[in-house]
Amino acid sequence: MKWTAADVELYQKEKDYIDTALIPLIPITMDDGAKTAASGGEFVQLVAGELERQLKGRVFLFPPFSYFLSESRQSLVERLTDWTSLLMEQGMKYVFYVTCDREWKGKETAISDRLWLVPAVPLENMDESYKYELIRDQTSGLLRFFISQWS
Amino acid sequence: MSDKHRVTRRQFLNYTLTGVGGFMAAGTLMPMLRFAFDPILKDEAGTEMVAVADVKDITTEPKRFDFKVKVKDAWYESEEPRSAWVYKNEKGEIIALSPICKHLGCTVDWNTDKEHPNQFFCPCHYGRYTKDGTNVPGTPPQAPLDRYEYKVKDGKLYLGKAKPRGEA
Repeated sequence: MKWTAADVELYQKEKDYIDTALIPLIPITMDDGAKTAASGGEFVQLVAGELERQLKGRVFLFPPFSYFLSESRQSLVERLTDWTSLLMEQGMKYVFYVTCDREWKGKETAISDRLWLVPAVPLENMDESYKYELIRDQTSGLLRFFISQWS
Repeated sequence: MSDKHRVTRRQFLNYTLTGVGGFMAAGTLMPMLRFAFDPILKDEAGTEMVAVADVKDITTEPKRFDFKVKVKDAWYESEEPRSAWVYKNEKGEIIALSPICKHLGCTVDWNTDKEHPNQFFCPCHYGRYTKDGTNVPGTPPQAPLDRYEYKVKDGKLYLGKAKPRGEA
C-alpha cells in the first residue's frame, strides 16, 4: 500500500491483513553533504518502493519522515517514537524504518532494532542494469528482514 | 526536332503546376488525415508484447523472468518492472504466470515454503498456489494466478497482458 487515495481505500477495507508500516527516514542538508544525502535518499526511496511492490498486501509504505541533519537527535527520536505509537494504536503490529543515515543505527533505541540501513552508493553515475541489480539486492535483504520479523 | 514529343509552353506549365500543386495538397492533407485516424493506428498502451526470454531457457521448473513495460499514469510515462513465472507443462505448452497474489497483490515466490514444496507461496499471508496457478483452498487467495498472453517468435518468448484464468 502506498499513501494514495486508492490504496488507503483498500487499506480501510482490508485492515486486518495490513499490519506492517514502513517509514523511510530521509535526511536533508544544504551544506557540503547535500549531494550524498540526496543520493542516499533517492536510493532509500527506490528500495522502499520496490519492497512495497513486492509486499503490497501487507506493508504500508508511508510518506518519508524527513528531517534536517542539524536538528537535535533527541527530538527526532521523540517525534519518530510518537509516529510509531500512533501507528501502533491504529492497528499496525510492526513498524519498520529504512534509511541511509548511519546515525540512527548508532544509538541503542527502540528504533535501532527495527531499522534497515542501506549503504551509501553514488547512484547518479551508475549503469542502469547495475543500479537495478543493486536495488534488487537491497530489496531482497529487506524482504528477508521483514519475513524474519513476521514469523 | 520531331513533332511527336513537342510540348508547348502552355502544356509544360500546366503539367508542372499540377505536379507541384499535387505535392502541396498532399503535404497539407496527409497530417490532417493522420490526426483524424491516429487513435485507431496507435497501439493501446500496455498491449504490446515484450520479449522476455529465450524459449530454450524454459524448463519444466518455473523460473522467474523480469522485464519492463511502459505504463502511463496521467501524464507521467515510465517503465515499470514486471516479472513472470514461466515453465513448460507436461504437454510442452508454455505457461507464463503473473506473480501477483490474487489476495492483496504481493509477489509470490516458487518453492520457498518448506512445508509445502512445489507450490507458489505468498510471504504476506501465506497464500499458496499449485504449479498451474490454482489457489489452494483454505489459504487467503480466492482466485488462481493470472496468466500472461504469450507468443513465440524466432525462438523468443513474448509476453503481453496478464489475464485472469479462462480469458488468456
